[in-house]
Amino acid sequence: MSTKTHDHKQIKTLTKDKPDLQGLIKTSQMSPSVVGKSIVRTDALSKVTGKLAFGADYSQEGFLHGKILRSPYPHAVIKSIDIEKAKNLSGVAAVLTAEDVPGRNGFGAIIPDQPVICGDKVRFVGDGVALVAAETEKIANQALELIKVEYDLLPPVFDPIEALKEDAPKVHEKGNLLSYNKLRKGDAEKGFAQADVIIERTYKVPFLDHAYLEPDICMAIPQVDGTMLVEGPMQAPFTVRRNINAVLGVPINRVQARQISMGGGFGGKEDSPIDLGCRAAVLAHHTRRPVRIALEREEVTLQTCKRHPMTMKIKIGAKKDGSLVAFEGVIYDEQGAYASLGPVIPPAGGSHIHAMIMMSGPYEIPNVKIDAYLCFTNNPYGGAMRGFGAPQVHVAHEQIIDELAEALGTTPFDIRRRNGLREGSATATGQVLDQSVGLHDTLESCAKAFDWEKKYQDTGYVNEEKTKRRGVGIGMGWYRTSIGTNNDACGANVYVHEDGTVLLSTGITEMGQGSFTVLPQICAEELGVRVEDVRVARPDTDAVPESGPTVGSRSTTLMGNAIILAARQVKKSILEMAAEMLMVPLTRLESRDRRIYDRDNPDTVLEFREAAARCMANGKRLIGQGWWAPPAPSLDPETGQGNPYFVYTYSTHMAEVNVDMETGEVEVTDYVAAFDVGKAINPKALEGQIEGGVAMGLGYALTEEVAIENGYIQNLSLRDYLIPTSLDVPDIKPIILEVENKFGPYGAKGIGEMPNLPATPAILNAIANACGGRVRDLPADPEKVYWAIKEAEIPLD
Amino acid sequence: MKEMEIQFQLNGCDVCVDVPSDTLLVDLLRDTLGLKGTKTGCREGECGACTVLLDDIPVNSCILPAFKVEGRSVTTIEGLTKDDGRLDPIQEAFIQEGAVQCGFCTPGMIMNAKALLGKDPHPEEGKIREAISGVQCRCTGYQKIVQAVKSAGQKMDSTR
Repeated sequence: MSTKTHDHKQIKTLTKDKPDLQGLIKTSQMSPSVVGKSIVRTDALSKVTGKLAFGADYSQEGFLHGKILRSPYPHAVIKSIDIEKAKNLSGVAAVLTAEDVPGRNGFGAIIPDQPVICGDKVRFVGDGVALVAAETEKIANQALELIKVEYDLLPPVFDPIEALKEDAPKVHEKGNLLSYNKLRKGDAEKGFAQADVIIERTYKVPFLDHAYLEPDICMAIPQVDGTMLVEGPMQAPFTVRRNINAVLGVPINRVQARQISMGGGFGGKEDSPIDLGCRAAVLAHHTRRPVRIALEREEVTLQTCKRHPMTMKIKIGAKKDGSLVAFEGVIYDEQGAYASLGPVIPPAGGSHIHAMIMMSGPYEIPNVKIDAYLCFTNNPYGGAMRGFGAPQVHVAHEQIIDELAEALGTTPFDIRRRNGLREGSATATGQVLDQSVGLHDTLESCAKAFDWEKKYQDTGYVNEEKTKRRGVGIGMGWYRTSIGTNNDACGANVYVHEDGTVLLSTGITEMGQGSFTVLPQICAEELGVRVEDVRVARPDTDAVPESGPTVGSRSTTLMGNAIILAARQVKKSILEMAAEMLMVPLTRLESRDRRIYDRDNPDTVLEFREAAARCMANGKRLIGQGWWAPPAPSLDPETGQGNPYFVYTYSTHMAEVNVDMETGEVEVTDYVAAFDVGKAINPKALEGQIEGGVAMGLGYALTEEVAIENGYIQNLSLRDYLIPTSLDVPDIKPIILEVENKFGPYGAKGIGEMPNLPATPAILNAIANACGGRVRDLPADPEKVYWAIKEAEIPLD
Repeated sequence: MKEMEIQFQLNGCDVCVDVPSDTLLVDLLRDTLGLKGTKTGCREGECGACTVLLDDIPVNSCILPAFKVEGRSVTTIEGLTKDDGRLDPIQEAFIQEGAVQCGFCTPGMIMNAKALLGKDPHPEEGKIREAISGVQCRCTGYQKIVQAVKSAGQKMDSTR
């Protein structure tokens, strides 16, 4: 057992070890001219005119159509496969089985345990057992029907707690426990002994589908030099490349992954392009022809990863005055059939680890004990979905804190105000938060805008018939920027041309979140040009530096810093040239809005492009390459103590709902969401992230669930899987607060995932406040709310 | 499958095409006529990304047999931009209000807004929400889309 302690000193050391992290934020005394402005999205015009091509809009000329034969069983041994008839069908170019995979027959974001084509057994309904490529989709589908597979059924397991039992069917040889981690802070037992009130609850959340509107698609195009080009909407082109090169058995430089426009990802297009990419590449490898695999909606639901379901058991204790003293939690995190992104990635990456680190919420609790199990089952596999491990635990900690407040006789607001993290607080991992902690600012400003005090008093029946009741709820939350692993660096190239325009090359992908607008803003600010002068190159593993995946709310902060470092190299060169041309000392020069001028004598001025052209003519550097990795994460595997992430975003949401006491229907009628984002690089784009995130959190609370019975998904289509419509989402009032992050570009920190986390529990808490019944097993659909009201049997005035 | 001839007006131009009789409108538009602005997200009339106007009424082109448009008028997202590149006020408002994120639902949203504002340039917020409720958006939370439709109506009015 390690006795390592983690105190305030350690985070100071992190800062000291990384001198290059300092001074990143401001380059001049002047206020930014591009950063902080709600500049129109660079891709908006092409999207409103319908001209932007998504994968399905690309020419199909010369392409074969790939299809996947899927297992109809959740767990079975493959006895035999007969592909003869399918092969002989006219128009079929290839029918492939496991032995045809040229290299490693396995892919996966972290552990390559999912077969490209299953050879011995299948582990979920949807596992691929054969691949077909044909001249048309219709022929490919006919060929699938001609393949005969004989299976021997195996007993399946569909519950993570069942899966841990000794006699449970084994999904994988090594057993069903994929990862186990623990967190020990203080002494939970002693903590509970000091508590005046202790409550215990269990919360459950189901599989969730990303339901991005664009179905997955991938194109593999063999190049004349033997390189395999793979194109598709992908959040992690480098991870796609890393898998395909192994599956094809070729060196990494023989695979080129190119990102094309993406119709939504939300984490889901981190995994699925690996799956489709490997399969399309294997078909293209065999046929030597371009192959496209375009999934139908039902195939998307069947085949791609989901948000992990979790069962969360919690015991929490507080003193009479409302201060929290102890927290004990157990997480059963269901990984499903394959490891995907789930397992531990040292020191602090992985679904159950993220969940464990955040489980006790944004509260200071001296004694915390958590055990987190990540288990295989024969269900579809879990992957990243907007908050990877965090949305689940927010549902739990935000509800139990309300239930505890009730037991203590205090209010949801006061218990949060008393226990919420502040600067100097130690988190559950013992990390002392020494900067950019705006949680309480979000609580106070949210309460003010929402008019919490008044609304909290003004609940109860809203109609004369006494059928509907109003309630209000709070959801507080926090989320990391970065992924908590040791592979979290971002690289950027900044290339200034002789006319002063700029090509910005990064591996961060645009999926709708606005990176192709925000990143050029940072680049333009740093160089002193206009945002329209910066063009973003498409992420292409042949052309951009390794940037890691576009996940973990890391793009703006980590890539922003890399861009600043790259831009500074070029700027130095250009300013040196300008100093010569203007005969002004370098230190007095300022670059802003396409002009370089003498700060002491602003009439001495030069066009940015003139200096750039002179650099070009004189062979002076015009290309910069910047790399930035956050302060190294740490997490002791024995104690779960350390500094897993270098900065957090904080948020408070308040929701008002009306609950129909006769039908259990819930309507969200008012909503305020406040965030401490460090710095809003583009406020309007940020609001868009907030509003969309809240809508997603609302779906998690009220309607969404991938309903699975005995391994079979019951709601494969968007008709049955209910995401919120414009009639379900209320007007959302976003509040943006800026508590500077000293490690962030212009003080920024991540925002992509944060907005959906507190939304779900805010609504659940409002429901409980309205009707007295609480739903602890999501979603809180009318039926569950109805029964929660019945079970609560609380006399209502 | 038997081929059939269909004549209709597409974005103001007369069109005459031969297609198999089981062709769906969305495939006629995208594959036969090359108008890729109309998207398909579900192919069962649920997500609304494929919305086009049929005689000014929004329809899901992914479940409408192509022959149904015989003799009628179809408007797609491509038909909203003028020949000289000028945008429809709705398109302009979507840009200005930040109503676009991934952009996949955007053409369908804009076509629904077009139909609504054609009938009623000053819709109440509830009407706007109802009009676009047949199109699913996973990115925006709808708020900026609603705002864009509102402001487009006001702008159309002031230029009328």
